[in-house]
This record gives sequence, C-alpha cells and structure tokens, in this order.
Amino acid sequence: MIEVEDVHKKYGSLHAVRGVRLSIRAGQIVGILGPNGAGKTTVVRMIAGTLPPSAGRVRIAGLDAIAETQRVRRKLGYLPESNPLYPEMRVADYVSHRARLYATPHTADAVARALKRCWLDDVATRRIGQLSKGYRQRVGLAAALVHEPEILILDEPTTGLDPSQIAETRELIRSLAGDRTMLIVSHILPEVEKTCDRIVIFSSGTVRADGSPAELMQQAPGRTIVECKGDPTQAITGIAGVDAVSTEKTSDAWIRAYVQTKPGAHVRESIGRALVQANLPLRELRDETVSLETLYLRLIQSEDDA
Amino acid sequence: MSAAFHIAHRELASFFRSSIGWVVIALFLLVSGVWVAFATLRPGEPASLRVFFGASQWLLLVVAPAISMRLLAEEWRSGTIEPLMASPAGDWAVAFGKYLGAVGFLIVMLLPTLAYVALLAAVSDPEYGPIITGYLGLVLVGMTYIAVGMWMSSLTSNQVIAFLTTLFFFLLLWLASSEGARLLGPPWSDALYTVSIGLRVSDFAKGVLDTGHIVFFLAVSLLFVGLTVASLEVRRWR
Repeated sequence: MIEVEDVHKKYGSLHAVRGVRLSIRAGQIVGILGPNGAGKTTVVRMIAGTLPPSAGRVRIAGLDAIAETQRVRRKLGYLPESNPLYPEMRVADYVSHRARLYATPHTADAVARALKRCWLDDVATRRIGQLSKGYRQRVGLAAALVHEPEILILDEPTTGLDPSQIAETRELIRSLAGDRTMLIVSHILPEVEKTCDRIVIFSSGTVRADGSPAELMQQAPGRTIVECKGDPTQAITGIAGVDAVSTEKTSDAWIRAYVQTKPGAHVRESIGRALVQANLPLRELRDETVSLETLYLRLIQSEDDA
Repeated sequence: MSAAFHIAHRELASFFRSSIGWVVIALFLLVSGVWVAFATLRPGEPASLRVFFGASQWLLLVVAPAISMRLLAEEWRSGTIEPLMASPAGDWAVAFGKYLGAVGFLIVMLLPTLAYVALLAAVSDPEYGPIITGYLGLVLVGMTYIAVGMWMSSLTSNQVIAFLTTLFFFLLLWLASSEGARLLGPPWSDALYTVSIGLRVSDFAKGVLDTGHIVFFLAVSLLFVGLTVASLEVRRWR
C-alpha cells in the first residue's frame, strides 16, 4: 500500500532523512516512533505528498506520490502535528469544507457520518475556537477521514491532551482503524505500543528498528541477574551469548552480577552450570524482563553515543 | 475548479466570521460616506460620483492590503496551509480560490455605496454611464491591489509585513509614475505613465471605457496570482 524507497530529505546542509525504506501493507496500523528531530514528521509529510523528497521515491497504491499527487492525495487522510484548524468556523462547516475539497460524494451524509464516528454530534454547530483541546483533536480526525481515505496519517495525535483526553483519543483512533491503513507518528512509546500492530523506530533520520512489538522484543538485548558468594565474572565470561558482565557488592557481602546478553540468547542454564563448576554458592539467577521502552531508549541512546 | 470555489466561499465567509471584515467595511463606508456628504451632496456640485471614485482609489490603497494581508500569511502562521496543501485541491485552486474570496469581499464592501447613487438620483439627475464605469474601475483597481497583496502575503507568515509591503509597493509605484515620470521625462516617463494606476482609474471615473485599461488590470492581477502559485510551489519544495 505504501512504499518508501530509499528516501532522503535535505534542508540545506541538514540531512534530515537518510535513505529510509519502508513497505506498509494495506490494513496495517503502523506506529512511527522516535525522539523529537528524528525525521518522523518529514517522512510522513513526504508520504502525505506535502513535501517532495530530495532523493528516492514514495509510492501509494502503486502511484508515485509526486508525479500522480492529485490521485494519491484522494487516498490519504492527514492530521498534521499541531492539528491546525480555523477557530472561527463551526465544526460541521469545517468538516464539510474539507469534504468538498476532496470532492466527496453525498457531502451531507459523509459529514454526518464523520461527526458521529468522532463523537462530535453534540458540538456540530459550535465554533471550533470555543472547544476544548480534546474536542478540537476530534474535529481534526473527523476532517481527516470525512472523505473515507484508504490511508489515515496521524501526526502526534495526543500531544497536549490531558490523560482522560488521551485515553479517549486512543479509543477513538482504535475504533477508526477498521480495514484502513494507519500511520501514527509519536515520540511517546505507550501511544504506539497500545494502538499499533507494527512499530518503526526512527533516530537521526534513519530506521533503527522495525517489527511487531513481539518481534522488537526479540531484537532486544537481554540482561540476566546473578547473585553468588564470590566474583562470578571469570566463570561467566566466554559463555556463548554473553556480551558483558558487571558486578557490585550487596549489603551482606555477596556479589550481584549483571550479565548483558545478545538478542534472543538464553544463558541461564550455562551460567548455572559454570557457577557449579566454579564452586560458587548461588542464591539468585534470573532473566530480567526487557520492556519495549528499554529497547527504545537503548536504540536512541546508542545513536546519541555514536 | 470546484475546489477553488469552495476555498473562495470559505474565505469570503471567514471575513464575516471575524471582526476584520466588519471593521474594514465600517471604516470604508464611514470615510467614503463623509467624503460624499461633504464633497458631492452640496448645492452647485455636479451630479456625479467622480469625487467618490477618486477618494475610493486612495482608500483602497489601505483597505485592499488589509483584506489581502491575512490570505496566506495567516495560513502559514497557524499551519492550516498544511491540510490544504495535502488535499487534492492543488496550488492553483488554493491561490485562485483565496483571490476570488477576497475579490468577493471587495464587491460586498462596495455594494452599500450604491446608496450614494440612490441618494444622488433622489436629489438630481445623474449620468449613469460614468457611475457604471467608475465602479468597474474601482473593482479592477481593487483586484490588482489584492492580487499584489496576496503575493506579499504568500511570502511571509506575518500579516503586518504583508500589509506594509503591499502598501509601500503601491506608494512607490504611485511616486514613480507621477513625480518620477515628471523628473525623468521622455522616454522613461512614457513607460512610467503606462504603469500608472491613477491615470487609468481617472479615465474610468470620467466614463471612458478603455479595453487597454481593463486588459492591464486583469493581466497584472493574473500575473500576481501566478506569482502566488509559484510562491506556494517554492515553499513546498524548500
């Protein structure tokens, strides 16, 4: 459905996007995750056709996003980052205006449907400027989907909302998915973790990780905690799958070792055997659960360190 | 094309949804009304609106940039240009739609001044030919001011800058085509008189319908609408 082929974007000397490749199937809900300045918004703008790439190509349903931009834009619904709206307009008038820009057939029905789906019926005649931020976000969503796009792109859809509004907006986004392809851009992990079935992590203009939350967890390096009487470093170092070992003394003079392991490596059994052979009394040996958040932070930190 | 009309409709309505539209209309009617009352509706004065048309040409120099300053500058400032540019409307429809909306507002602003014609007809027997051509001249000069103003508005996200650059553009043009032409003499003066808006408008107010003038105003307007489209394209590619 969406093919991003080796796309670059340069702003003068700033190389904001560096050779991004993405292939998104129809019906997928994809979270584009990364810190501020990672190039996420630039990439979605190139997908939305509002920004041409400096090099590479974006294709939507087989159509070139630049050469066939009019046809491509009809397939897309786009909610930009700051959710820009006309505050002086009434909600229904604004959604209707957007529907007409897309030459939506049966405009009145389409507007009524969009307002209902975004729970805006009760404020349809209110001016946008008088609404709370949560309601304004729903107006932006209604305007983005009034023409029934095949692809919905939401850039930071919950930024600036309070916790109850965030929960409400997430619920709304989930209800809007259906058969639609959705791209949700965010710098907040729980945002995409709870909504998306695929996560693409960006950092410094490149894709750092890509997969379902479960696949990403597989890619995450693990950590095993060992507590024994005496220093286990020598016994553990060299075991296949072990990357590094660091130790500290506990309050009762035992040694706690933190064993960094390679992604997908299972080393507990080997460590247990090695400690028995080294005759080191053992009181704890467990794998630490790695959260997606840990992986995300490690990925963006390793990029910062590089 | 239909997208351009939807954009024009939204633009026209937005003037009346915010205070700017009402304030501009009120000030224009107040100043032009006072002018007509003191300079035209007096015993012994000719039964024509030539004074009103002459004064309005100068009023439009301030009023038209006030109409055009927000057309795109406000869209850039608030970010509303982004969903507009992501829509299938296209840059021509955006620029032309906004232009049409602003010209529509100009015409709505001039409509109440037909009361001056009614008033003149009530107390005398005016010639309607110069009044019709005078209004045509006002609309054409307003269209030109707005086209230039919209281009200025497409270059900045600051409405004040858009207003001032448009105002000073036409003040400089007026200076060049009057004092400048007199100082430089032929052949420069001939070229400068060609771009003189004042000379062309005064012909309309006298009842002269010169197709050369009409073509001039329409061509300049089209040129600046085209420059606005180019400006949108450049911003997109930057």
